[in-house]
Amino acid sequence: MQVLAILLLFSAFLLTRASRLASAVHILLAQSAMVAAACAVESGGSMHMLIAAVLTVLIKVGLIPKALLRVVSQLKREREVDPIMGPNASSLAAAAAIVMTYAVIDRTLPGGLSWDAVAASLALVFIGLMLIITRRQAIMQIVGLITIENGLYLLGLSTTHGLPMIIELGIFFDVLVAVSVLVILTNRLKKSFQSTDTSILKKLKG
Amino acid sequence: MEELIYAALALPLLVGALSMIIAENSAIKVLNISGSLLTGGILLCITGKVVVSGVFASSFMYVDALSALLLLVVAFLSITATLFSASYMDNELARGRVKLSALKRYYALLQLFIFTMIGVLVVENLGLMWVGVETTTLASTLLVAFYFNRSALEAAWKYVMVCNVGILFALLGTIMLYYTQVGVAGTETAALSWTALRAISTQLDPMLVKLAFVFILIGYGTKAGIAPMHTWLPDAYSQAPAPVSGLLSGALLSCVLYVLIRNLVIIQAALTTSFVNYALLAFGIFSVAIAIPFILIQHDIKRLLAYSSVEHVGIVTFGLGIGTHLAAYGVVLHILNHAVVKSVLFYLVGIIGQQYGSKQLSRIRGMFAVLPGIGAMFILAMLAIVGTPPLSIFMSKFTIVLAAFEAGWPVLGSLLLLLLAGVFAGMMFYSTRMVFGTAPRRFVRTSIGKSAIMAVSCSMLWIIITGVYLPPWLQQLLEQAALLVARRG
Repeated sequence: MQVLAILLLFSAFLLTRASRLASAVHILLAQSAMVAAACAVESGGSMHMLIAAVLTVLIKVGLIPKALLRVVSQLKREREVDPIMGPNASSLAAAAAIVMTYAVIDRTLPGGLSWDAVAASLALVFIGLMLIITRRQAIMQIVGLITIENGLYLLGLSTTHGLPMIIELGIFFDVLVAVSVLVILTNRLKKSFQSTDTSILKKLKG
Repeated sequence: MEELIYAALALPLLVGALSMIIAENSAIKVLNISGSLLTGGILLCITGKVVVSGVFASSFMYVDALSALLLLVVAFLSITATLFSASYMDNELARGRVKLSALKRYYALLQLFIFTMIGVLVVENLGLMWVGVETTTLASTLLVAFYFNRSALEAAWKYVMVCNVGILFALLGTIMLYYTQVGVAGTETAALSWTALRAISTQLDPMLVKLAFVFILIGYGTKAGIAPMHTWLPDAYSQAPAPVSGLLSGALLSCVLYVLIRNLVIIQAALTTSFVNYALLAFGIFSVAIAIPFILIQHDIKRLLAYSSVEHVGIVTFGLGIGTHLAAYGVVLHILNHAVVKSVLFYLVGIIGQQYGSKQLSRIRGMFAVLPGIGAMFILAMLAIVGTPPLSIFMSKFTIVLAAFEAGWPVLGSLLLLLLAGVFAGMMFYSTRMVFGTAPRRFVRTSIGKSAIMAVSCSMLWIIITGVYLPPWLQQLLEQAALLVARRG
């Protein structure tokens, strides 16, 4: 579990440095695979967790990256050129976030938990949020959103051994639908604006 | 009862699926209107049963007075929205703004949207409520983006991104609540069940509940449009087709507030301090205040109404912050009134927009001269939304302000009154300019459509009647709902 948590932190760190859309999606794929592995490790043979692990592989390692890569393959000229916060600053912020999450959970949460997993999950949430705020490319923002989702999923896993089955199924369904909706919108952005750089979306004001 | 709930959930899905298959506009219209009438009727039955025989609970479903009241709102608004859509979309078809294939998609998504809102209101579990709220975002995003032009895409992108991030914060808060529940009751026992949580709410770890509250307020607050998380709201409301704006502002907003209230009931019982109240009061006042400059200087009629929604969410949040029984009564009454009045305003603006061919405030003039009926209803609805007596919203606003004074917040109460005066000035300035004055010379009146007139006049009747007379069953429902919302002890 600890090894996985550290690998997850590493993947989130890598995301802050990615500027090619395809590599960002590939990192996301690896990250989701690690979340699935963490789920399987934590399961201890319980059926519910194994199903969740299989669903994570199916949806977050299979369907979602596939859909995103299909969009990316049509966006040949798009890449994250001039993010609001550059890769160096983002990496630094991510490192600060990781230190901060360790400091925070040390104080607030009572014992009996796998610290590294909790810290890693909160760091994933923070780094995902940072990607959404500072990246201009639509695909990058979607990657950020799923990173947050992965972080929250890991948090649920490490603190309470996952949410009840029916709620988890609902969340998986929501993630899947959310990505489909976002992919539709990204395609439309490409059609209407000839670009998926979301910084051009600033006409509506006041 | 359980069969009724399943029927109310299945019917919109069925109608939505059928709308995708049918190839003719008139058939789709008949199907959707009768479907919504039937769904609305079933929802009314559920509400009636709750009034007569009290709370209904099963393993996954839970309907008490509060959910019944909200089901009433969704029933009424889904009927008026479908009726209004029929004429509105006819006009759009005639203008060539939408194609028949897009129309099928529109009705299918509309019914899906109605389904998700009903789903939020009938589930018992806080986790499933979260899933439901997230699904409402996803169903409505493609409705916001319906025209797929540049501004609609921009609005939809902001809507889905901001609300998704916000709602993920609410999930974080919900996971924390679950963690505290596990700490008290152990795993595998009625996880995140609202009734189970309420039963043990005083034993939950206050420190963690406080943290959960912050995330839940930010999360659902984003979706409800509490400032400063409201940034997506004016864009989404102004770019969506008019019936969808009405549903977003009237029904969806109320549903999200409902989920927030459900969470607050647990949180307030777990915390002994007034932290929750201070936070809600601050966010409430801030939401009203931030809307004012945008209401005073505005160029787009739909954005004007959107900022008015921010203001009204602020009033409800403020009322929740006071937390007394009187304030709780004001809150539930206000949710009901705002839903009806704001939806009819969006419908009216939809008609006005089609007639004038513009949403720009500067272009819409002299409605009394060219559209006297619509103009009269518009000014009446505007008077209602700013809280003029004896129309319905006056009562609920008055109750909330009165509760503030009674609970020992005279300064905040006066501040709210002052801010409301500012809102009044802005809204009335623009509506009198729209209704009076000289109409543009090249104005050509087009037909409005019977079903739109029917939808609008139903709502107007409701507004006028409930201002002076609340039927006893509704009064009873409101009082029971207020008991659920009010802070106990």
